[in-house]
Amino acid sequence: MFGRKKKSNENQELSQSYWAYVSRQFKKNKRALYSLYLIGFLAIIALLADFIANEKPIICKYEGKVIMPVFRGYAVDLGLAKWPEAFKTGDWKSKEYDFAIWPPVPYLPNNLDYNARWSGPFDKQEVKNTWWRHWLGTDDLGRDVLSGMIHGTRIAFMVGIIAMGIACIIGIFLGACAGYFGDTGLELTRGGMIINFIALLLAFFYGFYSRSYAISDAFNVSFGAAMWKILLGVLIFLGVMILANIIAIPFRKIPFFNKKVAFPVDIAITRVIEVIRSIPLLVIILAIVAIAKPSILLVMAVIGMFSWTGIARFIRAELLRVRQLEYIEAANALGFSQMRAMFKHAIPNSLSPVFIAVAFGIASAILTESFLSFLGLGVPAETITWGKMLAISRTNPSAWWFAIFPGFAIFITVTLFNLIGEGLTDALDPRLKQ
Amino acid sequence: MFKYIIKRILIFIPTLLIISIMVFVLNMYAPGDPVYNMAGIDPQSSKPLTPEAYASIKKDLGLDKPAFYFTLSSKAYPDTLYRIPKKEHQNLLSRLVGTYGNWDEVRAYHKSVENIEAAVNSIPKDSLNPKALIKIKERVRGLYAEYEDEKIQKDFEVADRYITSTPSTSVLTPLMADMKSKYAAMVNNPTTWKLKVPKFNWYGTNNQYHTWFIKFIQFDFGKSYQSKRPISEEIGERIFWTMLISVISLIIVYLLSIPLGVFSARKKDTRADSIVTTILFILYSLPSFWIATLLIVFMCNPEYLEWFPPYGVGDVEGKGFFEGFKIRAYHLILPLFCWSYGSLAFLSRQMRGGMLSVLRQDYVRTARAKGIDERKVVWKHAIRNSLLPIITIFGSVFPAMISGSIVIEIIFSLPGMGQYLYQAIVFKNFPVVSTIVMMLGLLTMIGYLIVDILYAVVDPRIRFD
Repeated sequence: MFGRKKKSNENQELSQSYWAYVSRQFKKNKRALYSLYLIGFLAIIALLADFIANEKPIICKYEGKVIMPVFRGYAVDLGLAKWPEAFKTGDWKSKEYDFAIWPPVPYLPNNLDYNARWSGPFDKQEVKNTWWRHWLGTDDLGRDVLSGMIHGTRIAFMVGIIAMGIACIIGIFLGACAGYFGDTGLELTRGGMIINFIALLLAFFYGFYSRSYAISDAFNVSFGAAMWKILLGVLIFLGVMILANIIAIPFRKIPFFNKKVAFPVDIAITRVIEVIRSIPLLVIILAIVAIAKPSILLVMAVIGMFSWTGIARFIRAELLRVRQLEYIEAANALGFSQMRAMFKHAIPNSLSPVFIAVAFGIASAILTESFLSFLGLGVPAETITWGKMLAISRTNPSAWWFAIFPGFAIFITVTLFNLIGEGLTDALDPRLKQ
Repeated sequence: MFKYIIKRILIFIPTLLIISIMVFVLNMYAPGDPVYNMAGIDPQSSKPLTPEAYASIKKDLGLDKPAFYFTLSSKAYPDTLYRIPKKEHQNLLSRLVGTYGNWDEVRAYHKSVENIEAAVNSIPKDSLNPKALIKIKERVRGLYAEYEDEKIQKDFEVADRYITSTPSTSVLTPLMADMKSKYAAMVNNPTTWKLKVPKFNWYGTNNQYHTWFIKFIQFDFGKSYQSKRPISEEIGERIFWTMLISVISLIIVYLLSIPLGVFSARKKDTRADSIVTTILFILYSLPSFWIATLLIVFMCNPEYLEWFPPYGVGDVEGKGFFEGFKIRAYHLILPLFCWSYGSLAFLSRQMRGGMLSVLRQDYVRTARAKGIDERKVVWKHAIRNSLLPIITIFGSVFPAMISGSIVIEIIFSLPGMGQYLYQAIVFKNFPVVSTIVMMLGLLTMIGYLIVDILYAVVDPRIRFD
């Protein structure tokens, strides 16, 4: 027993890798650790929302055949399967099953129940049995609150993760360029700079401008189709840029064009960061939402596009330090390209502060989205979110359950992410912890 | 110092330009035709604006100019598209050119549609079957929105059918044939190669953006779609409440958070500190729109507690000063609380952190070693340096308060800028939206500017960087 313990101690000392150290530090902070567990729990709810709250049975036997309607539903959505004739019409609940296992909450957020309008959690409800109770009450059309809460978790997580995903892509790339190249690190030939500038305009023209109608038409078809068109635009954009740089090669023979000039990457990017930082996010989102068609993806994209500055600043500061270290010098000395040294060696070693920014960023993205849907802006009418449910309490103040539960869900999620952010700050930056 | 301030202001200008361009672009893509919005008339209504009235409103709005200093477009587009009067027609022409690339043919087709519309309008109503006339009108007008071949052919077909079946519309037959031939000419002679040739146009300063921006700087924001009053007047009435509540709550926040932070830093690791820290953390994470909703539901509601009025700022007409003050205070307590607690928690936490790091420094230890009274050490020696982070934080508290004003004003129906913005968004009153977005952006930027300058004044290291 004693020997074993000693051995594990030795192991710990041996594995002094950075991440092991960070995770040990993080685990010391009990508040943050439990927050992480709770977020994991909420994430599972978000993932399995269709199995926890659904109008369809999870598994049922109908007219002698056993089917799993929830799974089947996914397959039908993907175009892999079709509903049997019997299920095409009519309400799921009114059918006579041989046996059926229902989800714990047998309602979708949009299911109407006219027998139970505005019924509170403690009111007497006209339902078949306890299983069918609306545990957290209903709204004016008898829509189940608990089910809305569960499906709202999914939306909240999606908003946080997608918005921060976009912010990470922009922030890491720009911040890394600023930090790694600094003001003198990126040298271009004079000819290259001129040609790249012209090519930028041309690439925009061919990639996006001349295809703008095709892209806007695709938005009317579906979001996926539009993304495909935009991706095509990006490819054309890159193609034009690469072509321009190939054309630029012969110009190097002319001495005037071949003179190297440093491009002040750091100044340019820090200025951009400062500009974005000065824009009040909520106000701009409100303006965009006022003009565009309501879409949750748009809200996510806009939040992401305006909240990358924190990540970029972190990464920049970290890379300013990392690029002076020996192993980057070694990578350069070995003749690796600058891009490779940056993406393969410098960035992976500077990512840790990004996690802090992401944790806090998810919290504020969720908060922003709930506020927008609280105002009834930006989110389409059929999507049920926490913010929207909270807003119902304003139309009927006696329905106290609408004032308490959705707001509490927003509060808890935001707080947990903030606590994780704090825990990460402590774990990653021991200087602050004293 | 001077150099630093100049440098900082030089950053301010491009930021302002970028925000203004963003707002301008958003405004340009706003749905609907601004002229009709301003006139308050539905373009599909039976009595549309006369061309003269349309042109004069358009001129008032400054829309008879090119949009920006330059355009990057293709060779197929003429550089005078903005002169086409109606927005709907501009969109149609631009769309058709984008498909076929032959401006002259497109314009000819558009003119033939306009001719036929004029002819339809001039046919006296009583002389024929009114239903047919309405149908023809509908189809002809529909052509202004159609660019897909299939739908246009369908419109042609239906209009043709009604024209042939109604004798009194025979005037339209040659026009119809003319329109069809123009359409065929457009479709059959496309010059799509022109769309692939980029073209750069320079328009100069006589453009929509330039005039809008210059007017904005002179506080001429245009008129509201809804009330038709100048926006600057309406803002003038509302800015008082936003400023009043912001200033009061800023004062409360700074007055409370500094002693609270100092207290909790001095009592570090005691029970009092941990209680204060926990409460502050919870307050910091509580979304203010939730708390405001809870307060309204449970404290302004006859079903539970009816302690406070749920909305508005109260009516003080004809009341004495003290009576009026009481009414106002009664209405503003809840909004002020919701407005301030988040910033209060945030600032106190920062103050605690700042104080803690200062209290560890050598000079504080020296002061203590000299036997100076602890109170004097904290409030005289340590406080100055620990205030530094609080000053920078003003930069993030100020914008947060502006966004917060939107939240609180909407929930408590206070007649301030935030509520004005919200109403403008709901009623699609775009000139108001863009003006307020610009103003709030400007206020945020000024906040940052003041903070950066203040910080440079306080901390010399910044300006010699």
